[in-house]
Amino acid sequence: MEVESLGQHISRSFNEDLESIRNSVLKMGGMVEEQFGCALKALTDADSELGLEVASNDEKINQMEVSIDEECSRVLATRSPAAGDLRLIIATIKTITDLERIGDEAEKIGSLAAKLAAVERPRTNYRELRNLARHVKDMIRNSLDAFARLDVQLALEVLKADKEVDLEYETIYRQSITFMMEDPRTISSIMDLTWTARALERIGDHTKNICEYVIFLAHGKDVRHSDLDNIREDFNLSNEKNVLPE
Amino acid sequence: MNLPSRWISQLLLLAAWLAATIFFGWWFGSISWGLVFGLGLYLSITLHNVYILDRVLRRGKYIPLKMNGLWAELFADIERLKTKSRKRKKRYHNLLREVRESTGALNDAGIILNSDYEIQWFNRAATNLIGLDPKTDIGQRIDNFLRHPSLVEHLNKPKEDILTIPSSKNDQRQLAIQIIPYGKSQQLAIIRDVTVDVAMQRMRRDFVANASHELRSPLTVISGYLDMLSEDEALRKDWENPIREMGRQTERMQYVLSDLLELSKLESLAHDRSPEPVDVVSMLKIITGEFADKNNVAKITLEIDTDAFLLGSEADLYSLFYNLIHNAIRFTPVDGKVLCSWKIVKQSVEFEVEDSGIGIPEDMISRVTERFFRVDQGRSRDLGGTGLGLAIVKHVLQTHGGTLEIASEVGTGSTFRCIFPEEKIVIKEDRL
Repeated sequence: MEVESLGQHISRSFNEDLESIRNSVLKMGGMVEEQFGCALKALTDADSELGLEVASNDEKINQMEVSIDEECSRVLATRSPAAGDLRLIIATIKTITDLERIGDEAEKIGSLAAKLAAVERPRTNYRELRNLARHVKDMIRNSLDAFARLDVQLALEVLKADKEVDLEYETIYRQSITFMMEDPRTISSIMDLTWTARALERIGDHTKNICEYVIFLAHGKDVRHSDLDNIREDFNLSNEKNVLPE
Repeated sequence: MNLPSRWISQLLLLAAWLAATIFFGWWFGSISWGLVFGLGLYLSITLHNVYILDRVLRRGKYIPLKMNGLWAELFADIERLKTKSRKRKKRYHNLLREVRESTGALNDAGIILNSDYEIQWFNRAATNLIGLDPKTDIGQRIDNFLRHPSLVEHLNKPKEDILTIPSSKNDQRQLAIQIIPYGKSQQLAIIRDVTVDVAMQRMRRDFVANASHELRSPLTVISGYLDMLSEDEALRKDWENPIREMGRQTERMQYVLSDLLELSKLESLAHDRSPEPVDVVSMLKIITGEFADKNNVAKITLEIDTDAFLLGSEADLYSLFYNLIHNAIRFTPVDGKVLCSWKIVKQSVEFEVEDSGIGIPEDMISRVTERFFRVDQGRSRDLGGTGLGLAIVKHVLQTHGGTLEIASEVGTGSTFRCIFPEEKIVIKEDRL
């Protein structure tokens, strides 16, 4: 069940292929993080120019996804990987899909931020939304760190954080409904706000998926659609296995 | 032969022992059997000692047997060697611990990377600053954890520049990263928290920008009234000159303020968004044309060797070229000449202004791009300079990845050369 370290193959170029795939996933992750950071900055600073820039930069991430995908297919076809290597390829293919979606959501937040920059903002400057965004940002970072370190513990934390993000989203959603009922003139801007919150919540879900792939990669166990407590129980029993081989 | 005494005594002992066995063999009637017995005994004792030696070497156990002669001395030697190496090991261990403790006490994160940017070792500050974990992160690439795209790009094109990126843990904190190659394909990454420095820089920039902005509006009012006054026909004659002088000085102040504003704009980070290809050739033609039309200036010539476009901001490049050419004109007497050229040299493209003006003393050359620096107090003020022109030039070049070279000789003239890197050059195919 342990992950074979990537440096164990007789073929040196196979090691390099796998290592480079892993590095490019994290590189793509870095781009997504940056995009998301810029989208948030555009939102909080009411910087419509930056928001539009984020919206137009998504193309790079999409291209990255395509190229990593091709690389994975090539390794699958030429090396027929098994066990941990196969899991790495599968987890990579899935992870980049979710990363690309996060990029799409960031793009959406960017263009919504550009729209919201044009209207008057509440005195709190969307405090709830910023709070939610901060949590989501931590989740993205932690999920990528978990991928880099194959850290199951960290992945579990992200799964837990997703529940809180869902709750926060619901609060914002209810609050928005109240605002819209109070003053129907604000409906269109509040709708944009709700869409932004929705995008953030979706990003949370995608990071959760990534963490599930990390657990799959580390332990070969598919934890999708299972209860968090059950997962945790499974891994508390086998805590020693979390330690990576040198 | 120069045998150590222990060997001589050992050989003597062997000879005595063999003589004894021969004697006993002769006594009992068979010399050969006596010899066989004697040599066999000697061989078994030797084997036994070799066995002990083997144990000592393999398991590190020392069994102090009551031995004598050569073997005892050999074992004593081994023991001495072992003690010596133990002491040395301890010394190295202590040294290593001290080095680790001192690097651990540093506030700056130090990370040793191999040629593939894989982490080999890092100090405690690296854990605090960027959250590296010594258990899992050794052997991974550094950009797996510091994923900012500009760092990834920086690693692909290694330079010794310092790169500043926001910390991934906390947006508010800024980290400066420097990668220094050393030894055989080893690299040391030093990461510092420069949040305070960056904030100070921004405060300074904002202060300059705000101050110049605040000063501009009162100045506009003053210069407006001065204009009105100078045209007032009821004005007393003896006031005419002072008012004209006041008008000139307010105008100069306005130039200084607008240069200050431009500098602070150049310094602001949001500046280098989406560079565009700029048509340098027509820009240079416009600027030189403007000066050529004026009277009382040196003759100005323009040499165009390439029609390369430059990737950058049009307004900034305009003020770069304008300032350089204006400077050359200002410090060159009317009968002198100014030569501007735009050409491709090797991989890069160069803009050069050569004048036959008064020149800059050698020890001042490195300082001329400082703000308000004057080679000779008052000399350029008389000529209408703000003291900020070359500072603007330097900043524009910085944001466009270029470098400035200055060569000058007092009395003969100066040459200012701007070198732009290859990646900023755009050659328009359809124009060829």
